[in-house]
Amino acid sequence: MTTITMENINYKEEIKQKTSKPLMWIAIMSIVMFFAGLTSAVVVSQGGGSFLDIPLPSAFTISTFVIVASSLSFHYGLISIKKGNFGIAKVSVLITLILSFVFIASQWMGWTYLYENGVIAVGSSSTSSSSFLYLLTALHIIHLIGGIVSLLVVFVKLIRNKYSAEKYLGVQVSITYWHFLGGLWVYLYLFFMYIIA
Amino acid sequence: MSAHHHNENDFLFKYIFSTDHKMISKQFLITGFTMGFIGLVMSTLFRLQLGWPGESFEIVELLMGSWQEGGVMAPDKYLALVTMHGTIMVFFLLTAGLSGTFSNLLIPLQIGARDMASGFLNMLSYWFFFVSSVIMLISLFVEGGAASAGWTIYPPLSALPQAIPGSGAGMTLWLVSMSIFIVSSLLGSLNYIVTILNLRTKGMSMTRLPLTIWAFLITAIVGVLSFPVLLSAALLLVMDRSFGTSFYLSDIYIGGQVLDHTGGSPILFEHLFWFLGHPEVYIVLLPALGITSEIVSTMSRKPIFGYRAMIGSMMAIGFLSFIVWGHHMFLTGMNPFLGAVFTFTTLLIAIPSAVKVFNYLTTLWKGNIKFSPAMLFSVGLVSTFITGGVTGLVLGNSTLDINVHDTYFVIGHFHIVMGLSAIFGMFAGVYHWFPKMFGRMMNNKLGNLHFWSTIICAYGVFFPMHFLGLAGVPRRYYTNSEFPMFDNMVDINEFISMFAVIALFAQLLFMFNFIYSAFRGPRAPQNPWKGTTLEWTTPVEHFHGNWYGDIPEVHRWPYDYSKVDDNGDYIGGDDFIPQTTPLGEGEKDGGH
Repeated sequence: MTTITMENINYKEEIKQKTSKPLMWIAIMSIVMFFAGLTSAVVVSQGGGSFLDIPLPSAFTISTFVIVASSLSFHYGLISIKKGNFGIAKVSVLITLILSFVFIASQWMGWTYLYENGVIAVGSSSTSSSSFLYLLTALHIIHLIGGIVSLLVVFVKLIRNKYSAEKYLGVQVSITYWHFLGGLWVYLYLFFMYIIA
Repeated sequence: MSAHHHNENDFLFKYIFSTDHKMISKQFLITGFTMGFIGLVMSTLFRLQLGWPGESFEIVELLMGSWQEGGVMAPDKYLALVTMHGTIMVFFLLTAGLSGTFSNLLIPLQIGARDMASGFLNMLSYWFFFVSSVIMLISLFVEGGAASAGWTIYPPLSALPQAIPGSGAGMTLWLVSMSIFIVSSLLGSLNYIVTILNLRTKGMSMTRLPLTIWAFLITAIVGVLSFPVLLSAALLLVMDRSFGTSFYLSDIYIGGQVLDHTGGSPILFEHLFWFLGHPEVYIVLLPALGITSEIVSTMSRKPIFGYRAMIGSMMAIGFLSFIVWGHHMFLTGMNPFLGAVFTFTTLLIAIPSAVKVFNYLTTLWKGNIKFSPAMLFSVGLVSTFITGGVTGLVLGNSTLDINVHDTYFVIGHFHIVMGLSAIFGMFAGVYHWFPKMFGRMMNNKLGNLHFWSTIICAYGVFFPMHFLGLAGVPRRYYTNSEFPMFDNMVDINEFISMFAVIALFAQLLFMFNFIYSAFRGPRAPQNPWKGTTLEWTTPVEHFHGNWYGDIPEVHRWPYDYSKVDDNGDYIGGDDFIPQTTPLGEGEKDGGH
């Protein structure tokens, strides 16, 4: 009788292939509900009439273009991996990484603009709208940091030639999350523009 | 072989940081029961105060020390115990303890998988649960005591650290503990869903899944969609408490001094809390319904009646649970039209619930019933699901609810329909799958005694509460003896408290039976209840991977009990056909 153990590397690989993407999708579902809860809370709060009395910072518009561009560059990287063009893939992922930091910088610029115009995050001068604005953007960045970590993993693995034109599951999982983060920011941006501001 | 390979037989990796779903299931069970016992003792202590307000109990002073100086419970300790009892029972026993135990044990075993999709995430899920349990218990001992704003932690009591003693460090720890708990729950649910959808063995179509698995799947989906909303509510509360934001606070005076907060609303918290809070009822209840469906069919030696209707009912309950939260908020100044909408959606839940009850009863009808302790607790669940469900019709209806809102009627209702049903389901599951978990049998006589003493005490405690509620006795009050209009309720309160004390001792029977049987019980055969499902095809001894050789293939649904051929003889020669037996020529699969 053969004892099948969990250390069997083929078995582990098979399970990974079957479950990695569904795990990511369901994790995304729960993040969607988290932000749905918070943005619904904004809508309920606005029954009290608290709105932002200045326009959204233009830095947030820049953020939107940057994150969409980062999604496109990552996607181009994935296509390159599928075609076996690993040199282009490395450059694409590196551009995505750089754009992710540009995104964070543009968010910081947005916050600075808001702060200088009297929109305060916490304390007695804050309103629920201003606090929500800072909180939602900060929470998006916290999730984005997870995405950056996964990008770094993908980049390092690319450099170490761990992917092939047939085997790139980690990239697919990472890109799913990255596209989601892009979509989430676009949703938040539109929400800020039409609901809070 | 992976480079970071470790020996799974080392004590550390076998018992502590195990990634084997069966060991993790036992870890959830033991931690859950430990928390549950602490929650039970808490309720007994505050029942002493409610039954005999102001009286001194030396034994309690001995146990509680400075918490109960002179043997009389102080009001702030009473509020802390009420809050912690609710929190522990709802989340730590009936969410993590119940779902964590049986989802972990049964999902891989019943769908035919060697383990969960991610053993590592599964291990993390348990350890987050463990850490959150420890933090919640530590909160009992910090300055000011544990959280005291009720298990629903409504602001402003929970949002202002200076509001009451329990609003300080105890409340902070409550929030930290619950945030970690939510992460644990999400990690668990992710695993359960993906494992069920992706790792079923050959032949195990969705309509061949046991109802336990359907229940765990729907529970996990409801959890993934609702717990993040509680996390968002907790986050906003932390911001209000620690960073001076005004999400839930507005124009508050405390000690005659006006605070800085403007523009927030405590009602917002109620919306967010109950968006989880109501689905939470079904996160607690659905696994119990799945477990008992399985047991009722097995121990009646009959196919479950209305297999697809049972699945449809659970789906309907899961869906409806997201659109009924407003029935907890009828008294918040809600627009009466909106109240009517929530009344309508709430009362709709009666339909799938009634379908389930009908199917339980029709499965039992003319069955060859074996009254094992597991079966007794399952029938007990049917009883509590009906008696608790009927009062749900009162509370779900805004015009009726307003009269009994925040009274003991509510306490009686939810303890019966949610608390008792879920704990009965959990006990049923433990008695039924104990042989699978520990390789030994529990003592049936002690189990029967445990059931009868528990159900009598349970109704003794919770049934009279409905009368207290109808008389207007409010929940959560430290003592009702201060109000002359409740003087004639003193005897009822004494009566309830006596049953509560006996109920505590009844659980000691279970504890003894559980611990003794785990070490000294008779060795279990491979399939003690003559079940059809895959877990009974695994060897009695545990090893990581569940089956020697290949995973068995499935050929039929899981409820082929007492199936006869044209001559009236049992097919296969016995009154059950395992799922691994191929269909005979011309034989129809039951689930289709």
